[in-house]
Amino acid sequence: MLLPLTQVLVAAAALLTLMALAYTLFDRLIDNWLLGLVALVELGVVVQLVTGLLGIGTLEGHRATYAAYIVTLPFVLGITTWGAIKDKTRWAMASVAVGAFAVIVMTLRLQQIWDIYA
Amino acid sequence: MPDAAVTHSGRGPGRILVAVYGVLALAATGRSILQILEYFSRAPLAYVLSALAAVIYIVATIGMARGDRASTRVALLACTVELVGVLVVGAMSYAVPSAFPDKTVWSHFGSGYGYVPLVLPVLGIWWLNKVRHAGLRADPDGARADA
Repeated sequence: MLLPLTQVLVAAAALLTLMALAYTLFDRLIDNWLLGLVALVELGVVVQLVTGLLGIGTLEGHRATYAAYIVTLPFVLGITTWGAIKDKTRWAMASVAVGAFAVIVMTLRLQQIWDIYA
Repeated sequence: MPDAAVTHSGRGPGRILVAVYGVLALAATGRSILQILEYFSRAPLAYVLSALAAVIYIVATIGMARGDRASTRVALLACTVELVGVLVVGAMSYAVPSAFPDKTVWSHFGSGYGYVPLVLPVLGIWWLNKVRHAGLRADPDGARADA
């Protein structure tokens, strides 16, 4: 797993969380800017999935959790964003913020497992 | 407040609950499948409970997202089981730590997941009841036929 990728990914997901929260507060619906940021975070998550799975052999413990998290991650924003595109309400925007925050937490947890066991 | 009129558990603020439940369902399912496949013998009780938790999260997510009257009731039942589960397993993981050598979603009252598993069923039960009562007020005839 690449530390710089984790850092960029967490920063982008944090920006997305704030942006989605701001959209929720000001009652703005999903637009191309937010969708672009989602795409960027998703790209990072997928790159991390590939590098993480390639390196999973070097992990000496918690392989199950690691694999479960890294495989789950791409779905989180995918599903919440899909919901926000289909159902254009401020609450759907809030669920994108929840999804983006989950990406931050899960990415940090992955890095933590990697730092301890790899 | 337009929220007072929400009678569908997957609409309005319910969207957030569905999202959080969905994330937990995915995380718990993935984790428990691998736990059972990889090293079930290490902590069978904990892993069976993990799998149970995962199933309940899935049921609650789907029930809440569907949001018709029967689904809301199923989701309410799932949330109740979930609350009992997190309280019982949480207490047991402190009382009999030897039965829980590995962490599960519910052990130590969900501390490994930022206590989200403890708070979530309370929010879920509150929200589903609110929606159900709003639905009963809006459509009392349907309620009678249903009961």
